[in-house]
Amino acid sequence: MSDPAAGDEPVGENIAGEAPDPEPESVTDETTVYENDVELERTIGLVGGLAIGIGTMIGAGIFVFPGLAATEAGPAAALSFAIGGVIALLVALPTSELATAMPRSGGGYYFVSRSIGTSYGAIVGLGLWLGLVFASAFYLVGLGHYIVAVLAEVGVSLSGLPVPPHVLLGLVFAVALTALSVGGTENTAKLQNVIVIVLLAILTGFLTYGVLDAAGVFGRESAPTEFFSQGQLPVLTTAALVFTSYLGFAQVATVAGEIKKPSRNLPLAMVGSVIVVTVFYVVTIFVATSSFGADRLGEFGETAMVEVARDLLGLPGAVLILFAGLLATFSSANASILSASRSVYALSRDALLPRWASRINLRYGTPHIALGMAGGPIFVLVATDQVEILAEVASFLHLVLYALICVALLMLRRRDPAWYDPDFRIPGYPVVPILGALASAGLIVFMNRASIMIGAAIMAGSYLWFRYYAADVELKGDV
Amino acid sequence: MTERPSVLIPIQVLKGESIPDGVPKLLADANVVLLGYHVIPEQTAPGQARMQFEERATARMDELENLFENAGATVERRLVFTHKAQQTINRISHDEDCLAVLIPDTVAEMDDVLVAVRGAVGIDRLARVVDGVFSGSEATVTLYHVAREGESDADAQTLLDGLADRLTDNGFDEDRIETRVEREQDPVDAIIDATVDFDALVMGESDPTLATFVFGLPADQVADQFLGPVFVVQREQPETEE
Repeated sequence: MSDPAAGDEPVGENIAGEAPDPEPESVTDETTVYENDVELERTIGLVGGLAIGIGTMIGAGIFVFPGLAATEAGPAAALSFAIGGVIALLVALPTSELATAMPRSGGGYYFVSRSIGTSYGAIVGLGLWLGLVFASAFYLVGLGHYIVAVLAEVGVSLSGLPVPPHVLLGLVFAVALTALSVGGTENTAKLQNVIVIVLLAILTGFLTYGVLDAAGVFGRESAPTEFFSQGQLPVLTTAALVFTSYLGFAQVATVAGEIKKPSRNLPLAMVGSVIVVTVFYVVTIFVATSSFGADRLGEFGETAMVEVARDLLGLPGAVLILFAGLLATFSSANASILSASRSVYALSRDALLPRWASRINLRYGTPHIALGMAGGPIFVLVATDQVEILAEVASFLHLVLYALICVALLMLRRRDPAWYDPDFRIPGYPVVPILGALASAGLIVFMNRASIMIGAAIMAGSYLWFRYYAADVELKGDV
Repeated sequence: MTERPSVLIPIQVLKGESIPDGVPKLLADANVVLLGYHVIPEQTAPGQARMQFEERATARMDELENLFENAGATVERRLVFTHKAQQTINRISHDEDCLAVLIPDTVAEMDDVLVAVRGAVGIDRLARVVDGVFSGSEATVTLYHVAREGESDADAQTLLDGLADRLTDNGFDEDRIETRVEREQDPVDAIIDATVDFDALVMGESDPTLATFVFGLPADQVADQFLGPVFVVQREQPETEE
């Protein structure tokens, strides 16, 4: 196995006088070993890794975006999803290589801080935390829409409230999920695995029927529409919007320190989850647009898939998809809150955030402060109810990270420091990381101005925080 | 010639679990593999727990290590932060080539040891544990077998005598070995009943079956009922494991 310490030990202190935690001595298939014979057990297997990746991603692409994407790009939204998937794959491959060389908590943040430099690390690390916060808020608004739709289905309508009902429900779940994570039961990971399997089963059945129907097997007319009904440029802007559906694979890397047999399971989990969800997304959009036509689909908004299911399978179909949508948005939000908390831990370990931010409470053994630093801002963001902005800012912050991950790979391969010894080497070097970096940066260009401004402001704020709080900390290895 | 058998003692090091009285003395002739572990929920990164608790845990491990070394044992120590205790215990047991896991409990006088023999499989490891831990003591060991249906008393006696011979061949005092064959429906109940007169128990790890999923492992069932230390002799580990 590789030596995880990126060359030199991190040095320096932040303004609170805290130094980065020393690097571990070695990494095995089953443990991370620190000095004094202290070991950290790796407990997440391949299935667990795939469940984190797929479980985080599948919520948004299928259950929130189809309506929005169809409005903007027409049936060509399927192409937007495919483009997103290809870009995600171009980044997932370099991320996999780096993760097998440095299987540590913090994922992309860790790679960038160790290879490009501490300031870059701080920007993407804080960006990863806040990016996950934006993503969770986005999933929770989606969850709110699904609950409202479920209630409407049983004849309960929440009107006369000072806030839109889906926002209220999103807020309730923001609090509930944070509380659940703090006081949590032990079986959250098992629950996540079950949810993902149930979801994939429901979707496979539903989409198979949908594809057969669209092909005319059941003798119905499918809605005829022109593929590029909105022109070709919207395909790219829509790809930028829906890229939020592909943020999950990097979440696998944030728990890289806990994955068993990292050199095998990390690449399989990351690349595998991207491929699986891309297929599901593209087929979903195809089915959705051929059953209704893009325009009508757009009118249904966030819960458009429920109407598609109702059209195809009647009430049982609608109920099934509502149920699946609840599971999916719930699991995405939950996984993102946990990843955000892991990011806070990684930053605090490296003295870029105060050490107390990753403290564990003695009662539950959970990091209540880090979880609160995820849940608090999520609550505020859910209240804004800006689905598209939330999604795009989340994507923006992740895309910056992704571009830098690709740059980190290029730097490490060129300089080839002695400690860099990945077990998995990507095919297609240097084309894949160069394309990955360019595509990630390029996607940002197609976003809303407001999203770009907010994202840039967060990056600037992150840099200022680093200069103020931890300017003396040096995490970069010998590159 | 008696080897020092490696015996694993898993301790939840931050939960205030301690080594019961008499246990260090009991293991004076063993190679103690002291596993301090701390289980954290999945929401928490193990590294997070390490940053916060390593110092406290290490200090505690130092104390425990001294306890065993002063009694005469050799000690290997491991400190692990984990989400899954069983996975960690199995891994360390395999890593350190442990013959047995000790489920510790208080023991005042070590006079009588019950050795539950299930069958010929794994009897070699059983013999090494009994010989290594008890040959230097004054304790009497009773080799005990619950005969199955269709198994004759002679067969059962042959099984136990075989084990007794191995022990005496290795220099174990013949006068301190007794044998006993029992016939009862359920071996686990039989062992629990038999332990009443004994100070410590040595038994094998059973194969996982449906019943073990429903009722828990027999060793754990017995340990719950028996007020003394239980050595659970580990199965031979296959070399390559998933």
